[in-house]
Amino acid sequence: MPLVRARGVTKTYGSVRALDDVSFEIDEGITGLLGSNGAGKTTSLKLFMGLIDPDAGSVEVLGVDTRSSPEYRARIGYAPEHDCLPRAVSAAEFLAYMAEVSGLPRTSARLRASDVLRHVGLFEERYRPMGTYSTGMKQRVKLAQALVHDPVLAFLDEPTAGLDPMGRRDMLELIRRVGREFGISVVVSTHLMGDVERACDAVVVLDAGRLLRSGAVSGLTEETESVLVDLVEGADALAEALRRRGVATRLEGNRVTLERVSGDDYDTLRDAIVETDALLYRLAPERHTLADVFSPATATPVPEEETA
Amino acid sequence: MTSMGPAEIFDLGYQGYDGERTSRWARRRAIWRDGVRVSLGLGRGTSAKIAPWLLIALALVPMAVLVVIAAFVGSTPSNPDDFELPSYAEYYEFAIVPLSLFAAVVAPLLLCPDRRDGVLAMYAARPITATDFVAARWTAFLTVATVVACLPEAVLFTWNLLDASSTGSWLGDNWDVVPRFLVAGLTVAVAFTTLALFTASFTTRRAYAAIATLAVLFIGSAIGGIAEHDFTGSVADVLSLAALPNVAIDTVHWIFGDDLTQRPVAGAVSALWLAGLTAVLAVWLWRRTGRLVRG
Repeated sequence: MPLVRARGVTKTYGSVRALDDVSFEIDEGITGLLGSNGAGKTTSLKLFMGLIDPDAGSVEVLGVDTRSSPEYRARIGYAPEHDCLPRAVSAAEFLAYMAEVSGLPRTSARLRASDVLRHVGLFEERYRPMGTYSTGMKQRVKLAQALVHDPVLAFLDEPTAGLDPMGRRDMLELIRRVGREFGISVVVSTHLMGDVERACDAVVVLDAGRLLRSGAVSGLTEETESVLVDLVEGADALAEALRRRGVATRLEGNRVTLERVSGDDYDTLRDAIVETDALLYRLAPERHTLADVFSPATATPVPEEETA
Repeated sequence: MTSMGPAEIFDLGYQGYDGERTSRWARRRAIWRDGVRVSLGLGRGTSAKIAPWLLIALALVPMAVLVVIAAFVGSTPSNPDDFELPSYAEYYEFAIVPLSLFAAVVAPLLLCPDRRDGVLAMYAARPITATDFVAARWTAFLTVATVVACLPEAVLFTWNLLDASSTGSWLGDNWDVVPRFLVAGLTVAVAFTTLALFTASFTTRRAYAAIATLAVLFIGSAIGGIAEHDFTGSVADVLSLAALPNVAIDTVHWIFGDDLTQRPVAGAVSALWLAGLTAVLAVWLWRRTGRLVRG
C-alpha cells in the first residue's frame, strides 16, 4: 500500500489553480517533491496534512482519507520551511511537549525528546533556549520535532533552506539516515534538484500545478549512450583525433563527450588518447540529470551549482 | 572476582517507539497544562514570572491585608467602631482592576508568541484540530483567571468562617456563598479571558494585544461614566453597557443577590449583555484562531 495516494486532485485559490488534476503515489523510502515556486508543493503538503481539502479528487495518507479525523497525524511528522520554534524555550522542553501533543505519555515524551536530539547531534545543546541556535541547529530541531513521536512518514518542507554547503550536506546525510537507519519514510519538498539527486530514492516532479514526472530517481538519471571524458589537458587534440576516426564528439572546455557510443568506440578512444598523449582525469558514462525532466519552456528548479 | 575490560560506549542506534499512544483528551490536556505554565511563567526565566505573579499579588494581597486588619481590630458589622470588611461582591469593585490587567497582560502570552514564532504550524501538524488547540488555550487561561478571581473570596470566606462564633450554624446560614463566589469568579474570568484572547488573536505583539484589551475595558468605562453623568433615560442605560468592568461588577452583585436599583440597568440585563458579548467574541475567536492554525 502506498503511503500517500493522490487521485485526480485539483485545488484552486480564487482564479489560481494550484493543483490541476494531479495523481501520484508515494511509497516507502525517501521521496523528493520537486518543483519551482508556485509548482504546487506547499499546497500538496497542506493536503497531505489535512489542513485543506481538495476541490476535486482525494488524498489518502497511510490509507486514510485526509478529510477524516486528524488521528492519522499521530503517525506523520512535519517540518515546515519557515521559522516555527519558540525562541525562549529549550529544544528538550519543546520536543517533549510536541511529543505529548502527538500522543506520547509524558515520561516517554521526555525520553524520546532527548533520544531524538542525540540522533540529530543536539544532545549537548538541548537545554539552551532555541533563540540562541544557529540556522543549522534550528533546521535540526525542526527535523527532530518531526521525528520525536516516531512517525511512519515525515514531510520536510525545504529542509536545507538557508544552510551553507557543509550544513546542507550534513542535513541531506541526516535525512538519508532517517530514511535508511530509522526506518521512517520521508517526503522532502524542495526546489533544489541536487537535494533530490543526493538524498532521494524517488521523485514527484510538479510544475505549475501539474504532474511532470514521478518515479525512481535512478530511472530518471539512468545512463545515456554518451561517454564523458574529462581531461587535465589535451582535450582539443583528443576531440580532433576522435573526429578523424569517425566518432561523433562534443567539446566543452576540458571535457570531450562521445555520443552514441558502441563497443568498438572504446578501443578507438583508447587509441586516440595514446596518440595525443592526452592527460586523462575521468572517464564515465553520461547520466541524465533531473534537469532533463524539465523542458526549457517550463519554470526550472534551481540546479545545485546556483545555490551552493 | 570478575575482571572488567576497558569502558565502552555502545551506540544502540535509533530506537522506535512501540509504547502506549494517548487519547485526544490527553493531547488537549497537554496543551492546557502548557497554557497554565505559560500563564504563570512556570519553567521560564524570572522575567516571565514577574508580571503574572505581581498581578496575582495585587488581586490577593489587599484582601489578605484587610483580613489581617480585621483580625486585630475586630470586624463585627453591628459595631460601628469595628473595621468593616468588604462584601464578596464589593471586593470586585477593587479587584476588577488587577483582574483586567492580569487578563490584558498575561493572556496574550498564550497566542502572540506562538503566532510570532510560527509555532501554530506545529499544532496544525499534530493529531488535534484547530478547535482542540484554541479550546485548550482558552481553558488554560480561564483556569488561572478563575483561581485568581476566586482566591481573595476564598480568603474572605475562610476568615468569616474562622471568625464565626459557631462554625456549624454560620455554615448553615451561608452555605450558598461558596457557589456564588465560584460562579462570580468564573463569570468574570470567562468574560475577560475571551476578550483578552480575542484581541490577542489579531496581533503577534503581546504589547499591542494588552493595550487593545485595556483600551476596550477602560475607554468603555469612560463612555459608561460619561453616560451615567451626562445622559438620562434609555440612552444612558444603553451607553452604560459599554463600561465592561462595571457590567462585570454589576453581574457579580446580581449573582450575590445584591440590590442594584441604583444602577442604570438591572443585574440580569448586565449578566445577559456580558454573556451575549462573550459568546460573540468566543465564536469570533474560535473561527479566527482556527484559520490561523490551519495557515
